[in-house]
Amino acid sequence: MARWIRKRQGTDSLPLSLSRRRLYIIPTRAGVGFGLVLVLMLVAGLNYANSTALFLTFLLTGFALVSMHQCHRNLLGARLLAATAQPTFAHRAGTLSLIFENPAAAARFRIAAAVGDGSVTPTDLPAYGRGVIALSVPAPKRGVVQVDRLHLITRHPFGLFRAWTWVHAPIEMLVYPQPNGSLPMPTHHGSRSGARSVAHTGADEWLGLRPFRDGDSPRQVDWKAYAREAPLLVKEYSASGADLRMLDFGVLSNLPLEAKLEQLARWVVDAEDGGERYGLILPGSQIKPDRGPEHRHHCLAQLAMFGLEDTQRGEDTAT
Amino acid sequence: MAKIQPPEGSRRGLNWATGAFCAGMLLNVDRVPSWVPVAALIFVAWRLMAASRALRLPGVITRSLLAILLVAGIVLRFHTLNGLSAGTALLILMGSVKLLETRAPRDQYIVIGSAVFLLLAACLDRQGLVHAPLYLLHVWLCCAALAVVGYGSTASSATASSSSATAALFDSRAAMMLGARSLVFALPLALMLFMFFPRLPGAFWAIPRSDEALTGLGDSMSPGSITQLTSSYEVAFRAHFEGSPPPPQERYWRGPVLHEFDGYTWRRTARNLARMQPLQYLGQEYRYRVSLEPSAQRWWFSLDTATGSPEPNVAFTYDYQLISAKPVTPGTNYTLVSHTSTRASSPLPQLSRRYDTELHGERNPRSRALAVKLRSGVASDEAYVSAVLDFLHTGGFQYTLTPPRLGFDSVDDFLFNTRLGFCGHYASAFTVMMRAAGVPARVVTGYLGGEWNPIGRYFIVRQSDAHSWAEVWLEGRGWTRVDPTAVVAPARLQRGILDILPNAVSAPARFVWSQPWLAALLQRWDALNTAWNDRVIKFNYDDQLRLLQRLGFESPGAEELGWAFGSGLVGWMLWIAWHVGRQTRRTPPDKLARAYTRLCKKLGRAGIARESHQGPLSFAKQVGELRPDLQANVHPLLLRYAQLRYGPAEQDSYAAHVREFARQVSELTLPARAAGTPPR
Repeated sequence: MARWIRKRQGTDSLPLSLSRRRLYIIPTRAGVGFGLVLVLMLVAGLNYANSTALFLTFLLTGFALVSMHQCHRNLLGARLLAATAQPTFAHRAGTLSLIFENPAAAARFRIAAAVGDGSVTPTDLPAYGRGVIALSVPAPKRGVVQVDRLHLITRHPFGLFRAWTWVHAPIEMLVYPQPNGSLPMPTHHGSRSGARSVAHTGADEWLGLRPFRDGDSPRQVDWKAYAREAPLLVKEYSASGADLRMLDFGVLSNLPLEAKLEQLARWVVDAEDGGERYGLILPGSQIKPDRGPEHRHHCLAQLAMFGLEDTQRGEDTAT
Repeated sequence: MAKIQPPEGSRRGLNWATGAFCAGMLLNVDRVPSWVPVAALIFVAWRLMAASRALRLPGVITRSLLAILLVAGIVLRFHTLNGLSAGTALLILMGSVKLLETRAPRDQYIVIGSAVFLLLAACLDRQGLVHAPLYLLHVWLCCAALAVVGYGSTASSATASSSSATAALFDSRAAMMLGARSLVFALPLALMLFMFFPRLPGAFWAIPRSDEALTGLGDSMSPGSITQLTSSYEVAFRAHFEGSPPPPQERYWRGPVLHEFDGYTWRRTARNLARMQPLQYLGQEYRYRVSLEPSAQRWWFSLDTATGSPEPNVAFTYDYQLISAKPVTPGTNYTLVSHTSTRASSPLPQLSRRYDTELHGERNPRSRALAVKLRSGVASDEAYVSAVLDFLHTGGFQYTLTPPRLGFDSVDDFLFNTRLGFCGHYASAFTVMMRAAGVPARVVTGYLGGEWNPIGRYFIVRQSDAHSWAEVWLEGRGWTRVDPTAVVAPARLQRGILDILPNAVSAPARFVWSQPWLAALLQRWDALNTAWNDRVIKFNYDDQLRLLQRLGFESPGAEELGWAFGSGLVGWMLWIAWHVGRQTRRTPPDKLARAYTRLCKKLGRAGIARESHQGPLSFAKQVGELRPDLQANVHPLLLRYAQLRYGPAEQDSYAAHVREFARQVSELTLPARAAGTPPR
């Protein structure tokens, strides 16, 4: 069934308007129960030639059919603008954010989404408004998790019918290796002449303050100044070669591959948290020392994809 | 496929489901023993307190014990679980016990389902005009409850902030509105199905009705045992005449005919051997429709004398009475033709003569002696009838509804001692006198008169109009109606019983009678109710066919009904699909945005497409770069849009400004690419 639908709909690209062709609808269990109640009322009304009961039966029948259209309408025309997944560490759940838009004047309620057959999370879209659904995606191991099938459902209003659709958009979530291992961080590295090793006691040279930029570590913010109602400032230290760490794959010689990557991830995370400059050396590639969230991501992404580029990619799908 | 299976339904859903259930209980509250709603309300309170953590919910064992106890209570009270009242009580109790274990949305759906069943139970019992709005309100409440429960059933695991924001969007008011809107959309279908959904001509099984006492004429009469005749103001039936109604002295409504007299009680004994006397119908023909109210009896009343039975399963007996095969429990409508004047076309058979001159043994000797004496003094039966009537007229008899109790020889006691009685006494005594003289005679019970309702143009015949009179066989004329009460209380013929004896009915009815405006108001209400009953409640298969005939079908049958039904259904589905689908179409939210979209489209056609990230000001700049010749026209408009959209709000004249902007956009004509502008 799923395969047939996938073949029928093809691969989707975002932003995506939910069209009539891709919406499916069936009665829920409550809807079937409601139908049984209606049948009983009809039989009783016909048997006793009871006009009131018959009229109310017909009214509720019409109501159920209207609710079917309303349920269908609730999804029809809604737009899935974006689906983005922040990278996460292995063995932790990642978050997939879906952004929906309602382009019509009528509000939409309880539009729920799930990854594959997972549990659903709903959101409401006001008229011309947007809604965000944050879905949890399990990340069993490092590499890339591909969410190749999203399930969008609604049972609003009345819960008598369930309208749903599948979205086959290529959504990827990068999974870093789990930071693990207890080896001490290398303190010295010789690739750069004149570099001296410094214990990471923070004996950096004070440079001054600069305005806060997105991505700055909260550890570097001058909270005391902020408490004095100054703008958000960041303490800047000179790291001119002083606490430079090169995290080398090569020094971890007697560990299995995954353990090596986990240890390197541990170091990257710790170095970033310590506000140090660090670089990464992997067989066949090298990342120059730097710091900041982008650099951290760059390093962790290298670790995540190490050795997977062609062989395993595309195998780990979440569905 | 993903399933939505949250562990706990929403609190709001619980409240609404409980509310719908309580409303359903309210519709039935007067038909069940009073301890039933009390017990149910205790459970409701228990559940609601448990929801606010004041009490704990009972466990499985307690619930099972409660259920067994309550079922036992019902069985003790009704001795059955079958039947409308017992079933309703059971439904209320089981629904409220179910409430005690209501946690998931599924349980809340079941509670709403039981509320719908309670509505069905109420419908089966009462369908008056007063109840219809209540039923509609209840349906609305159930639908709104469904909306709230449905909303809560899709669990919100999102953060608290987002859930509070959505709660504001879809609150109880929105649920009520949604329910009302859906029902309004459903209304055309409901009406169409009501008119064209094929009805059954008969019933599969009969409803076991219990303990509802329905009044009506009985099949026996013993005037001597009654010391206080209390008549109810209840309606027996209504009669619509086509053309002019008969004069007051002809408004005799024939009911059970009583043949057998044991000296004290008259009985309607079935004489299967008797043959119907063929009649010659004389005088004016009256065509009329009778709307019979429900009763426990099988009598169908007709204006004396009907020409035949309106339906195959209603017998037209040899004594011109209409008797249905089943009691008139749901009430019914029928059309009849009657003539108030008839003549027998053949002599009375010996068997019938013997039956109707029979007097038991030696009872009422004085009356017999008087009869023989009076008969011997006159030449013919006609003269004898006049002599007996004269005796009643001049003998000091009085009409009363509180006669003294009569002795063993009831007729003797009445004629020679008490001389006080109502119609039954006079009819009984007169018939005995006739029989004693060898003239065939019988007692006819029924109704006399009726209240004219000028709004609905029909007669209301009430139980208080009940009457009895005598019929005698006169050679050459056949069965002839003689009303001995008329010689004693002539006013009874002309007016209702209330005019001559105001104490005949209960105090509220007397009060209504004494207030003309109130009586007029009640007549109006009765007319409305009657229309409702005739047009809506008693709408059946025949009415459906008549409706089709009026819609232009030549000879409608089930097939035509199916066609009308099917095409109506398809039409309605298309309408709903169009109407509901219309709301999903993409429309800019307001007038200003629509005008701006139009402007951008115009510019797009002129070759300057706005990128989706561009605001009005940067777009204006781009226009200036691309088409300097348009700048004079377009630039002010784009600036104006930015000002209207983002500028400080001009409260008072904002709408006017927007209108003006929209007009300017409509009037804007973009010249083709100006000569000399280099294409880019």
